[in-house]
Amino acid sequence: MKRIISLILVAVMAVALLASCGETTTTTGAKYALVTKAAGNAYNEKEAEGFKAAMEAAGLTSSDYIIRHPEQATVEAQIAVINSLISQGVKSIAIAANDPNALSSVLADAKAKGIKILTLDSDVAPADRLTFCNQAGVQQVAQALIDAVLDLTGGEGDYAILSATSQATNQNAWIDAMKAIAAADSAKYGKLNLVEVAYGDDEPQKSTDQTQALLQKYPDLKVICAPTTVGVAAAAKVLQDKKSTVKLTGLGLPSEMAEYIGNDADHSCPYMFLWNPIDLGKLAAYASIALVDGKITGAVGDKFEAGNMENSPYTLTAVEGTNASEIILGAPFKFDPSNIGEWKSVY
Amino acid sequence: MAGKSGRTISAVPQKSILKRLLSWEGALVLIFIAVLVMGRIMSPYFTLENVLREMPKYLAEILIVFPMGFVLIMGEIDISVGSIVCLSATVACFAGNAGLPFPLVMLICLLTGLACGLLNGFILTRWPELPPMIVTLGTQIIFRGIAEVTLGSGGSLSYVNSKDLGILSKTLGPFPVAFFAVLIAAAIFIVVLSTSTFGRKLYAIGSNRTAAKYAGIKVSKIRLIVYGLAGLMAGMCALFILTTTFGANTTTGQNYEMDVIAMCVFGGIATTGGKGNLFGALIAGFSIVCLRIALGLINTNPQLILIIIGLLLIISVLISGISQMRGKKLKKKKA
Repeated sequence: MKRIISLILVAVMAVALLASCGETTTTTGAKYALVTKAAGNAYNEKEAEGFKAAMEAAGLTSSDYIIRHPEQATVEAQIAVINSLISQGVKSIAIAANDPNALSSVLADAKAKGIKILTLDSDVAPADRLTFCNQAGVQQVAQALIDAVLDLTGGEGDYAILSATSQATNQNAWIDAMKAIAAADSAKYGKLNLVEVAYGDDEPQKSTDQTQALLQKYPDLKVICAPTTVGVAAAAKVLQDKKSTVKLTGLGLPSEMAEYIGNDADHSCPYMFLWNPIDLGKLAAYASIALVDGKITGAVGDKFEAGNMENSPYTLTAVEGTNASEIILGAPFKFDPSNIGEWKSVY
Repeated sequence: MAGKSGRTISAVPQKSILKRLLSWEGALVLIFIAVLVMGRIMSPYFTLENVLREMPKYLAEILIVFPMGFVLIMGEIDISVGSIVCLSATVACFAGNAGLPFPLVMLICLLTGLACGLLNGFILTRWPELPPMIVTLGTQIIFRGIAEVTLGSGGSLSYVNSKDLGILSKTLGPFPVAFFAVLIAAAIFIVVLSTSTFGRKLYAIGSNRTAAKYAGIKVSKIRLIVYGLAGLMAGMCALFILTTTFGANTTTGQNYEMDVIAMCVFGGIATTGGKGNLFGALIAGFSIVCLRIALGLINTNPQLILIIIGLLLIISVLISGISQMRGKKLKKKKA
């Protein structure tokens, strides 16, 4: 009895395995690998979609690249995946890291085998990778936001900024850059008046309170700019509920902001920004190809062609305060009534 | 024929070689060989060198299979081991980064695990009527919670002196140190379980705890030791995990308890207690690990790997269930 059962079992396993073979791209000799944060992460799926699109645009077929989603969103699952890719002898690995430090050991192994390592979305320690595909540079974010304020105020008037905490590195860098851009071109931005930078500490309730305070304090306020996903969602709700004439823009998640985005008086936010994960995946794909072909080495100042991407060719720039390189994707992606329906289910 | 359920303190079956081959362990050996053959057919990269290089992370997990086998044979469960791994690794990182010498760091890591395990054991023996599943669910949350609080907002801490860890990530020939750790642990645990009175007592407790108590077995003492061992081995697992991640983070050791329990159950250890042995669990562990590595090498969808392992589990409990039912039927007929 047991023997029969065990034989059946082995047969079942064989069938299961062969079935699984059929479904996957059994890749021998694939060159370019992408490792996402985890399976089932919509934002990551979009990155993978872009990676695939760019690979195919570059004339490669599905046997030339591997896209791997780790079982869980843990660094250990990513280590297992990278080990598996090392075994397969890939030429490059692009990874969205689940931890800035913990991949160090396995990435060193990969490097020792001559594999080119780059990161996208979230970086690792600069010593462990050649370059980093950064979704948004400080300048580009600031430029997009100040231009949005200019547009929504109609070129002049009072605006306020609703930020995260007063120490938040990203937000402070963006706000400082916005001020600098406005100061540098007074002909264009001179009639804009920044009345206050308020801090909602990335807490919904405090952000709501701060928005209400701004409305009370500044009756002539035309625009609120919230460069934080928590702040922008809270402000959007306040403005829409009050049917305020004050307009909103900033950086927000499409899924949270969909109900507030619209060009009419019923909606508080005509448009807002965030990055486009598909383009980030594409950029990582073109950077992988350039690294493997030896067109770039990951040094600051290197240049490479990125197919038909908007900002191609890309130049590797220095990460602020270091000599490690990064590739900045470009201006943030604009979400308006025309595309929000498509993106709200994505992330 | 009482089948495998006859494996109690009173009846230790002496099996012939043929019977052994036809047993679940025999089937597991066949499955293991099948996995290796299929891995080789499916991917040209399924070589000894590659498999051993990918293995250390999994070997660390297998270290916990042995004490978990003890716990399950007693008819109990410990789902806090993954969190113990996380807390031990975190403590070891802090100790190492504070400049303590590496042998001391290793000791601290093991002791942290032991302490966590003994805490489980203490609670469960102080209040023996508490269900182990719930108590260790509680400590699972508490241990990981402590680790998360200690790790702070970043949720990740790297082991600065990672050169120290080199001793544990070395290889002897193609074999990683973790491989030998598993072999040594396997030898000790298997011998203890199958030849010592301590091992026999575990089966007795698993078959009937009350009867074991009245037979003069110090049930509380043995349970405390077993839970302590589970913690200690989780601490050892943490040491080897450190050699692959060079640090600890909030997800270190996540889901290990489930992986380890799956290996034990697939290896023929019944969660109802009193049945199974560690040799089966060891082979089952290696089969699952090699299967994962092989499926990884052909870039299978990760969910598919989980589905296959899930199926294997159901099949393995089904088979032991069927043989049990048959055994009962036979008994009834005889009566």
